[in-house]
Formats: sequence, C-alpha cells, structure tokens
Amino acid sequence: MSQNLTMSPDLGTEDWDPDVITRMIFIGPGAHVSEQEIVTAFHMLDLPLTIKNTCYGSMISGKSEDVYKAIKEIRKLDPNHIFTKERGFAPGDPRRCRGHRFGPREGFHQMEKEYRILGFVANALENPKDVEIEEKKPVSVDEFKKIMNDCLDNKE
Amino acid sequence: MVKIAVYPPNSLILADLIERKGHTPLVLQKQIRQKIKDPEIDSPPMNITEDDPIKGLKYAAIEVPSGVRGRMAIIGPIIDEAEAAIVVDGAPYGFGCIGCARTNELSIFLLRNKDIPVLELNYPTNQDETYLMVNQVNEFVDSLEETDKEEE
Repeated sequence: MSQNLTMSPDLGTEDWDPDVITRMIFIGPGAHVSEQEIVTAFHMLDLPLTIKNTCYGSMISGKSEDVYKAIKEIRKLDPNHIFTKERGFAPGDPRRCRGHRFGPREGFHQMEKEYRILGFVANALENPKDVEIEEKKPVSVDEFKKIMNDCLDNKE
Repeated sequence: MVKIAVYPPNSLILADLIERKGHTPLVLQKQIRQKIKDPEIDSPPMNITEDDPIKGLKYAAIEVPSGVRGRMAIIGPIIDEAEAAIVVDGAPYGFGCIGCARTNELSIFLLRNKDIPVLELNYPTNQDETYLMVNQVNEFVDSLEETDKEEE
C-alpha cells in the first residue's frame, strides 16, 4: 500500500497564490462540441491559463478573473451541454493526480454518478417543460382486506 | 446575488444550475482550496491539523467523534455563510463527498434549523424526475431573486 501514500508535493508560487483557481469543464452527453474543440477554443482565447484535456472535457487553472472570463466565452459554444464545477487542487497535483498513484481519483465516483443524469439535465435546460409525477402510495388497509377476502372467496 | 449552500456540497449539477442564474453556490472545493493554500500548514499532504476538531466544537459537542468535528471545521463555514440551501435526499450509496453519515445528518439538521429558505429534492432516477428537479431548482432560485429585490 506504500505506493498509495500521497507524496509531499513540490509546490510553486502559483500553487500558493489564493487568487489562482481551478475549474473543471464537463461536456454532457449529446453535446455539439468535442473535448478537443473546447481545448482549442480555450487556447484561442489567448488568456494566461493552464489548460488540461481530460476524458470528460477539460480543466483550466489560472487567476480567477481570467478563468471566469474563459468560462463565460466557452459556455457560448453549447450553453445547455457545458457544465462547470470548482476544483480544490490544481491540475496534476500529486496529492490527487492518478499519474502518481493507484486507484480512482477522489471525486471520481461522484462525477460518475452525476454524469448518468447529466444528459437529462441538459435536455431539461434545452426544452423546458412542466412535468407531473404521480407519487406511489401504499395500498390502503380496506382495499387490501377487500382483495384478500376476494382471493379467499375465489379459492373456496 | 444570493449565497446558496448545496448538499452534497461538491455537486456539479446543483452548483452549475445556481451559477447559470447568477448566484453563488457555496461548495466544498472552495473550502478545500483555502485549506491547501494555507501557508501555515507545515506538511502539505496532511491538510487536516489538530486545530480542526477544536474549530468543529462550534458545531458539535465534545462527545461527538473527532472525525465529525474535523469535517465540520470545513463544512461549518459554508453553513454559517449560507443565505439559502438546496438539499438532495434519497441519493444512492456513495453519493456525496463527506464519507460520514453522521456529518451528513448534522449538516442537514443545521441547514434546516438556520431559518433560511431550504429546498429539499429527491434524487432523480429517470428523465421526468430530472425535469422536475431542474424546474424546482429554477423556481426556487427565481423566488430568491424576487425576495432579494423586495428587501432592497
């Protein structure tokens, strides 16, 4: 298990800067853009950001002002299918990055669960409509008794 | 702009829906970022210090296990700061980031008791339920905007 122990990271000035933030960009199912297109669009913005291409979309890190500006621009590509989320650790931080240790990254399971309904959320944002859901109620005692008696009578 | 606490506090969908409406979601990742960028932490991989269970005493009694108090030291400031809250109930096992059922119960109890508007949702499992959840979140956030304007 010693391989799984997190190593002491070699932190640079950016890692200690409280104004530097990291955000994850998710592309929902059925999106009209690909991960690569998103990364290229980030590069074309010409902002001082660290951009990482990932399987779910991308991850960007930089000064908060630049990050929010980039996200605002990138959302315009496909507003209903691009979702973003904060991330505490910088991209490639050895305390979280799978490149340095075994097992899934912390936070992966949550991401996996939420990704399953992300397509429905994107549909709801694209075509909003009112829905009513019938709540399942337990069978009342009287009705249950009636069914039970009917069954017993039929048996005889 | 209203500060809205979400539960589970690392939720992508809830935080994103709130941000789309121009409000601020209070998420755990921001707290963690503060924690790991704190120059007072001597050995960065160990980001929980002995002070955390002491800070947690503000939210939980001394008899409560130190694990709950340590977690509350990070989640507590979110609850203090919250002006509204969205809580998801009935989620499957492994949903959320806390890893402690008692901390979850305590945090939701504190949010409910805080005299702020709280929206409680059921975890959606199919398309219709997701539509309902998104509609409920949007309506709730819009109603907050209206009360915010009235107060101004």
